[in-house]
Amino acid sequence: MIALAVFRLAAYVRSHRVYQALLLALAMLAIVYGSRAPKGVETAVLADGAVLIVPILAWAARSLLDTEPDRQRELSAIQAGGRGREVAAGLLAAFAACAVLSALALAWALLLGVSASPPPAALGAAALLYVLAALTGTALGALTSRAVLPSPAVSIMALLLGFMAMLLISASSLYWLTVPLITWMKAADAGDLLTRLPELAAISLAWCTAGLAAYVHLRRRT
Amino acid sequence: MQLTRVSFRYRKRDRLVISHADARLSAGNVIELTGANGAGKSTLLRLLAGLARPTSGVIADRPAVVGFAPDRFPTAQPFTVTTYLRHMSRVRGGARWEPWAERLGLGPLLDTALRDLSKGSAHKVGLVQALMAEPGLLILDEPFAGLDAGTRETLPLIAAELAQRGAIVIASDHQSGLRDLPALRHWALRDGHLEESASPAPETAGQVTVAVTLPAGDLPRFLAGVRDEGYLAREIEESH
Repeated sequence: MIALAVFRLAAYVRSHRVYQALLLALAMLAIVYGSRAPKGVETAVLADGAVLIVPILAWAARSLLDTEPDRQRELSAIQAGGRGREVAAGLLAAFAACAVLSALALAWALLLGVSASPPPAALGAAALLYVLAALTGTALGALTSRAVLPSPAVSIMALLLGFMAMLLISASSLYWLTVPLITWMKAADAGDLLTRLPELAAISLAWCTAGLAAYVHLRRRT
Repeated sequence: MQLTRVSFRYRKRDRLVISHADARLSAGNVIELTGANGAGKSTLLRLLAGLARPTSGVIADRPAVVGFAPDRFPTAQPFTVTTYLRHMSRVRGGARWEPWAERLGLGPLLDTALRDLSKGSAHKVGLVQALMAEPGLLILDEPFAGLDAGTRETLPLIAAELAQRGAIVIASDHQSGLRDLPALRHWALRDGHLEESASPAPETAGQVTVAVTLPAGDLPRFLAGVRDEGYLAREIEESH
């Protein structure tokens, strides 16, 4: 499974598709962190960055999963010893790509976005948000990949609308009905991210798990 | 390996592509699968490979290691022949692909990008990735299409060797490339029904097979004409 994940990552890099998401991420980071935020808002800056990177991560995950021709996906499933392993390897590769881009976003925010180092506890909470962002991107990208939505137009609309829906729902009192992205930002802004983190992380994790489970179910249905 | 009343349809309310197929495959069997275009050959091969699940019925006792060579190898991948096969070998836990590449004549093309390969050479890459892990079940979808003469002769030998070592080999084939193998089993798919026949069209003593080259557009008229004269005629090379 690891070897197959490496194969898919290699295809993603060698096909140069990786640059689409990378350039988009770099452009976004350059604009967002064009000037350093004043002291005292470090946690809020980091949380905002974790939310802003999600659609780019979803794009990266979708792009990675779509690099492989459909027929190669079948060959890979046979080589790896079953569809389940092929699906798992794809998700692992997509998460690895998202994790690298997410780490880049966090590092950029820490180096060029804030004026002071956040306290260790706040930094830990922010790092967790970036991991959750990577998971959210993986799930959204996987659910809009070609193996699930064959039409490119439908797929890209689903990705963007999915992200918009997450933002809208998480801005309301029904924020627990999705990955509560806006609630991450609100909590960080209000200074109670640390106290609300267990609740928000649990909701985020539950929806990511549900999204990934739905993807696995849809892929194994055939 | 056992197929028990295996049926398959792509969507609910579609017609059955495979209808109540029963078959038993034993170690060492070599099977030639024939049928008209659209008869369901590729679907049956996908079911055997485990790529699709039967709508009803059961496929039991599939060998653990399956090799599958598709009719069209997916060349739209950013790898050379060597890097691709090296990756596939790692996925297979370090299977040796080099001897197979050598045997199928891929040696001079190892550094060629997959997307620059001719149809026949790409097909060989598909064969190597299917063969490398010593499969217990080898599935070949139209294995002879586009292959050069040397490989056409080698492939039946490879199939026979694998069968001798206890593998099941099944090939969908319009070209009777495996016809010289002893104890070859013949399956035919007609309208989704799987039938086993003793022999498809035996060549008796005194008969010869000839090859005729002609413009692709003339083919239907030519075949019809030859058949009208009472000769057995079939197309063996895909039109380019």
